[in-house]
Amino acid sequence: MTHFAFREEDLTLEVDYVVVGSGAGGATAANELARGGATVALIEAGPWRDPEDYPSSTYGAMRDVFDDWGVGIARGRALWPIVQASCVGGTTVINCAICVRTPEDVMLQWERDLGVGNKAWRDAIWKHQDKLEVELCAEVVPPEAAGRSSLLAAKGAEAVRYDGHPMTRYVKGCVGSGQCLQGCKQLKKQSLNLQFVPEVMALGGTVLSCAPAERVLLEGRRAVGVSGRFREPVTRRKGGRYTVRARKGVVVAASVTRTAPLLMASGVKHPLLGKGFRAHPGTGVFGVYDHDVDMNVGATQGWASVQYRIEPGMKVETLSIPPEMVASRLAGAGKELVARMGDYRRMAMWVVAVRAEAVGRIKRGLLGEVSVDYSFARPDMERLRKGLALLARTHFAAGAVKVLPGIYGLPYEIGPDQVDLIENGPLDPRSYILISSHLFGGTTMDKDPTRGVCDEYGRVHGYEGLVVADASVIPTTLGVNPQHTIMALARSFADRLLDA
Amino acid sequence: MINWLARSAMVTFYPRSEQFPGIDEMPLDEYLARFKRESAPLMWAGFVLGTLFFHLTPLFTVFIPLPAFALSAATRERHAQRLSSHRIYYVRQPVFLLKMIAGLLWGADPAVRSRLGLAPYPADPGTWRRS
Ligand SMILES: Cc1cc2nc3c(=O)[nH]c(=O)nc-3n(C[C@H](O)[C@H](O)[C@H](O)COP(=O)(O)OP(=O)(O)OC[C@H]3O[C@@H](n4cnc5c(N)ncnc54)[C@H](O)[C@@H]3O)c2cc1C
Ligand code: SF4
Repeated sequence: MTHFAFREEDLTLEVDYVVVGSGAGGATAANELARGGATVALIEAGPWRDPEDYPSSTYGAMRDVFDDWGVGIARGRALWPIVQASCVGGTTVINCAICVRTPEDVMLQWERDLGVGNKAWRDAIWKHQDKLEVELCAEVVPPEAAGRSSLLAAKGAEAVRYDGHPMTRYVKGCVGSGQCLQGCKQLKKQSLNLQFVPEVMALGGTVLSCAPAERVLLEGRRAVGVSGRFREPVTRRKGGRYTVRARKGVVVAASVTRTAPLLMASGVKHPLLGKGFRAHPGTGVFGVYDHDVDMNVGATQGWASVQYRIEPGMKVETLSIPPEMVASRLAGAGKELVARMGDYRRMAMWVVAVRAEAVGRIKRGLLGEVSVDYSFARPDMERLRKGLALLARTHFAAGAVKVLPGIYGLPYEIGPDQVDLIENGPLDPRSYILISSHLFGGTTMDKDPTRGVCDEYGRVHGYEGLVVADASVIPTTLGVNPQHTIMALARSFADRLLDA
Repeated sequence: MINWLARSAMVTFYPRSEQFPGIDEMPLDEYLARFKRESAPLMWAGFVLGTLFFHLTPLFTVFIPLPAFALSAATRERHAQRLSSHRIYYVRQPVFLLKMIAGLLWGADPAVRSRLGLAPYPADPGTWRRS
């Protein structure tokens, strides 16, 4: 079992496959390759943090596990944060582990419009999902861990008459500590730093952490390895250089915002590299109740509805956030703001994630910096308003005494007869603070090399031995949480490599 | 100097109330030093800009040609409220960052958490696997 963390000395290795990025896609691909008997090196930009290293506060999470303090921004008419992790296990360390199968309509659309997949391909994806659910202990949130916020959402949705359900998550025996976003110290969440990465090592693989890859090494149009330099996680000081030669292939899974720029930096040429960025940007609505909700007690996310996934195109779910995040989310300043925080215990926050039509672009600047151009158009803003209004109605149906819409230009709080203010709320993206955590694209799949960067097995068109195996290949939004899809695709791509 | 200015702005956002302690009762100087040392350069730059912006703009909110630190506490608070709800997006945004960074300290403080029925956070270890 070999793990190289930050070091001053240079390092050279040779393996069958190098995998860049140890998140949902990378760890799964590396694990499948190692299970198939290949020698694998898994390279991760961030450090390896075990549960005893996890932070507790949001400050600690931003410092220790978020990618670059969470300062990624989608720039358009408004500036909306993009959140991802940078550590062994990638974003699975800080996500809520919600496990949703890839919807059939989405895959049928890929086949119809992009020539991606067929029935056998789809069946293989679902079969991988069957297995992943067993391996990662996919479990419905137990009622005793759901927390009051999720129970209220279920009650409200029933009263408003739409379907909802307790979430299924890769969590074994959740105790409802509400700390998913900082990493699960209770060892209940099956994040991939605890699951697939250790197995890669047990199968003889090598893990490099604190080791951002700088380029994929190409010989002509063949990928033959990866090089980079160790980086100390706190001081960002540079350490030794490393080169990992790959006898059989290179798998890139560095996340939507990092994979395309890495390929650009490596000299991979494709006119669509970085294009086709999509997301499910989301924001929350607080309901304030006449009794304590204590949203921080219970699963961080426990309940969801996908009834409106196709029309108008959104998902609603519960999400608990700690006081320090609420403090900046509430409007106002000074005594007024602090007085508003007095409602914290009686608040429940529910979010809408918009299945946006907007398409953006990931760019790499001259100094290697990454930026994302992305802006909502009117139809997405209309979806957003509908989702927020639905949540407000659900809160009132569940007994909220007031709702805090969090929309610039609207009153701080509204009553049950004012939900139309949200429905007719501003269409300017600048009036809202949306966060994107479900990202897609940048190296999208398409059978036709003139319309997509990769084929249906993540192989970069026009190159040999170069595969992308993360959310970057996903060519459309899904309308559901993406980790299950990303992992199943990564497994299927790895199987194809092993078959070859 | 920038720490002194930041302190004055942060205290305006999170003053003491009947229910909660104010941010000035918390280890604010230590927090600022830590944040400067640990944060991403872009984040620190945004914070400094937000702080300067806060102090240089009272003329446009409370119509007084003085920096915010020279205003009375009540007027400075009115200035903070007007900035954070300003109709111009690029006025609200830098102030949002300032408020967020202050909120990370204030909202995680053990006394604030205890008033909200929450146990204090254990320390963030900041450790990782070295080998
Ligand atoms: C707060 C939050 C909650 C979420 N909740 C859920 C949920 O409950 N269910 C769900 O399905 N989805 C959820 N998601 C989304 C889901 O986690 C992501 O879609 C998924 O993890 C993306 O997988 P990935 O492999 O593309 O990238 P990631 O998981 O982000 O992994 C990419 C890894 O590559 C590393 N890397 C980047 N650049 C380099 C480089 N140059 N060299 C080496 N390594 C590099 C990064 O450090 C990172 O560790 C959530 C996301 C967030 C932010
Ligand atoms: S709610 Fe707590 S126990 Fe449950 S998975 Fe999240 S962090 Fe772990």
